[in-house]
Amino acid sequence: MNPSYAKPTTPAAMATQSAQLSEEAYRALEDIVGAANVSRDAAVLDTYAFQWLAELVRPDQSHYMPRPAAVVLPGSTEEVQAIVRLANKYGLKVKPHGTGWYHWSGPIKDEDATLQLDMRRMDAIVEIDEQNMYAVVEPYVIAAQLQAEILPLGLNLNIPGVGCSSSIVASACAYHGAGPDTYYMGGNAENVLGMEWVTPEGEIIRTGSLGSGDGWFCSEGPGPSVRGICRGTLGSRGGLGVYTKCAVKLAPHFGQTEWNVEGTLPAYRLPVHENLRVYTLAVADWDAWAEIYYKIYDNEIGYIFHRQFNLAGADLSPAFWLMHNDASKTLSDVPEFVADPKIAELTEELRISFQLILAGRSRDDIELQDKILEAILDEVGGWKVERFCEQDMAEFTNVYLQRLGHKHINFVWAGGYIGSWMQFGTPDWVKGYVPTAAAGLERDAAAGKLVQCGGDAMMGSGSGIPLGGATGLEQFVSYDPDDYESTVAGIMHMEDAVKDAASISYPPGKEFLYLQIGWTDEQIWDALAHAKQPQAFHYQRQIKEAFDPNDIGDRMYPTLPEGYEAGS
Amino acid sequence: MALTDYRADAMRCTRCSYCKWIPFDLVKSHQFAKGCPSIEAGKFHAYSAGGKLVTALSLMDGRSEVTDRVVDVAFKCQLCGNCDVACKMCRYDMEPILALRELRAHLVEMDRVPESYRPLIERKRAALAGKGPKTPADRNAWAEGLGLKDPAVEPVDVVFYAGCKYSLEESLRETVRTQVRLLQLAGLTVGLFENGCCGGLADKMGYRDEAAEAGARMLKQWADAGVKTVVTPCADCRHTFTRVYPGLDGAPADLPEILHTVELTDRLVKDGRLELTTPVPLTVTYHDPCNLGRQGEPYQVWEGVEKKIYGQAVVYDPPRPRHNGANGVYAAPRDLLAAIPGVELVEMERSREATWCCGAGGACREAFPEYSAATAAERVEEAASTGAEALVSACSRCELNFAEAVAADAASGGPAAGMQVHDVLELVALSTGLREEAS
Repeated sequence: MNPSYAKPTTPAAMATQSAQLSEEAYRALEDIVGAANVSRDAAVLDTYAFQWLAELVRPDQSHYMPRPAAVVLPGSTEEVQAIVRLANKYGLKVKPHGTGWYHWSGPIKDEDATLQLDMRRMDAIVEIDEQNMYAVVEPYVIAAQLQAEILPLGLNLNIPGVGCSSSIVASACAYHGAGPDTYYMGGNAENVLGMEWVTPEGEIIRTGSLGSGDGWFCSEGPGPSVRGICRGTLGSRGGLGVYTKCAVKLAPHFGQTEWNVEGTLPAYRLPVHENLRVYTLAVADWDAWAEIYYKIYDNEIGYIFHRQFNLAGADLSPAFWLMHNDASKTLSDVPEFVADPKIAELTEELRISFQLILAGRSRDDIELQDKILEAILDEVGGWKVERFCEQDMAEFTNVYLQRLGHKHINFVWAGGYIGSWMQFGTPDWVKGYVPTAAAGLERDAAAGKLVQCGGDAMMGSGSGIPLGGATGLEQFVSYDPDDYESTVAGIMHMEDAVKDAASISYPPGKEFLYLQIGWTDEQIWDALAHAKQPQAFHYQRQIKEAFDPNDIGDRMYPTLPEGYEAGS
Repeated sequence: MALTDYRADAMRCTRCSYCKWIPFDLVKSHQFAKGCPSIEAGKFHAYSAGGKLVTALSLMDGRSEVTDRVVDVAFKCQLCGNCDVACKMCRYDMEPILALRELRAHLVEMDRVPESYRPLIERKRAALAGKGPKTPADRNAWAEGLGLKDPAVEPVDVVFYAGCKYSLEESLRETVRTQVRLLQLAGLTVGLFENGCCGGLADKMGYRDEAAEAGARMLKQWADAGVKTVVTPCADCRHTFTRVYPGLDGAPADLPEILHTVELTDRLVKDGRLELTTPVPLTVTYHDPCNLGRQGEPYQVWEGVEKKIYGQAVVYDPPRPRHNGANGVYAAPRDLLAAIPGVELVEMERSREATWCCGAGGACREAFPEYSAATAAERVEEAASTGAEALVSACSRCELNFAEAVAADAASGGPAAGMQVHDVLELVALSTGLREEAS
């Protein structure tokens, strides 16, 4: 074990003291939102400091990010504006979050007095424009809510990979937003239209067509475009002001407009509409995997395209999912499933598999797509995995991927998971890192401190049509956050994955982003300065200086200090 | 168990917030997607189940101390179990509702409880000591003239346990009497002990000793009389008998069969011992009481240890029974309603395991009446949205809360004005001809 991760000798009572805010500032906050909507109770604050992944980056593997100085629940854009102005006046940081899932949604530095903005009071669907196919929402509207409202209208929305429990505004305006239906609908980074943005100085900027009074339909204008400032692939992740409303583009929905789910918890089922087909498909090797991804993309068949079920690991995935579909079973039953010869056979059949939902505008359309898929399977030597295409599993797959309401299953094995790798690119490029990623997990899990579910526990979106066919695979690394050695093994894996990627000349993956949360500013600057185009972070500094002169946003909006170069 | 036994649950909570919503696969609208009354009222994350777990962790770690806010977080919660259901959509290593109950018991041990609890528990203690204003005989006044037998003296088919609300609330008297008369109409001999509270309210408040004392008394009474079947019209009492009593020190391995009156009545109808012939032309919506529905499934006490397989996957030895709300008492009340000619059932969006609580549970009706009423008001609004003429349930506490919420809604010109509130078995009684009109 790396000595720098020696087990702490004191319990997790460390680092409770965070920067405070003055009595005057607290009273001013109460004046803005009302006393009931602001708290500095230590236990309440700890429920915001406690975040998944914190234990991987914080001193002594504490589960807590820095404790906010206060948590504030704004109820309107005007209240957000007032809070931001107050932060400027009193030298406070502001960190907003929607539903608040990830370590970076909390405060980043112990020395900062940070106001955590919990946006849950702003939860209205402002408008659904059926004709023009967009919806306007506030930050605490989650994808499940909007989807439920628009399916009856024959509309749907991209639900990002984090699941339908997530804030639409957060993924559209401030973070990444790809998921299973990004293949057809685009990610939320692409789908965002007009935005209402409270800048770090407290200005309210309404962007795109909204800024010219023409409504929400376009992000670029007529009116001011700030996409280049606010968005990019990852967004500003809470580091550059507060997004208080946005419009997202909607997509047509071809399934049933009445959402009548059947079955028993936890494996609900959605009957497969006659215009849909729900398949789990498999191929013999990774070359064939890349080939079929290209062909599906090239032929533009399909609606939802995702490698989903493999998150449980290629060795255990069939056993796990069949167990999960039996309400009386638990993880204790998985070994029994694994020992079943039929499931052992299925495990081999499913090794390189993925899910594809076809959706037709008509019966003719779906039949045509089916024929195209058959031809593709013939060409690449792929197959439909019969057991997972049977009615029970097809209906389960249907609800799973359409609603994406099971994303917390990412944590099912041990309560903690790390998404490593996930570099996005063409299928041929992505398949290039698969052997290294798989070997790396096998190696790191060998000591039994990570879940041993097979080296390939990789999951990700299919080749997105609006993304030029790009795809990616995220390695699901499961660790037990209640087990110190397992947590440390998770950290070691992240560090190993960065090195593994470098060893095959790939850029670092998602784990690199996770790790950076625990770094010093100097470490981050060094990493940014070694990026392919470090000047981008100098430009971003200038943007930050213009919009956030008092530095109320945290470093989730990455910048380089003036004059900083690699080796500075 | 102790609070520290749930430390791992807290450490493995990922703050996913599933506990704040109904299971996502069941969401049908923006308005009725939310599942946790506690966080809807309290708003800060601490009020969710995940937040309560972390609150407990923070206390255990010595990072924070018990404040009035912490007390509010722990107790302003109906223990309705939505969090437990939603969490277990994906997780096998979490027991949110047990952890929440443990947090309460922990704070009770520290004597850090809401001030409104103090007179409540004093009344319960007095009743347990036989010093309350209502003696066991007083509690049986509701049964006068029904010809119920003393099970300690003569054998009966079933022992009826009315529970505190049905025993003492005048407005519920006809409802409970009707339920007994239905059983008698089907030919059952029904017994009634002289006894007190089951201890359920004390248990939910976190007063374990008082609940255990009540339970021990009840269990002895049943054992001494060789009781085979206990039937209760109270979902909370059923929950106490099935989920609390089996874990009490000295509890026998085999308790009597415990049934809610809707379960038994459903059996009697299906066995042809009750005939539902009189039409009851009414469009109804059914509210699943939390303690009969998602927390009413067969329950096994588990004792064991955690172990790891596949390196770090968390399992239990012996395997921990799965209590996730999948197998609650959902069919019996619906089957009864379907068997009544003229009754049309329209479901609310949040039903069965995804039910929005009536607001009364977890001692909130008694301790936090405004919060309890606000929770009920949301349910009544949801019921009204179905277009039903009547909101039907199978729990005294639910029905009391709903009746008051409908009245309040009507007073403010709300959509629930004119909505009737009934017990399922009142409608059954109408259809058997036992009664001519519902109360």
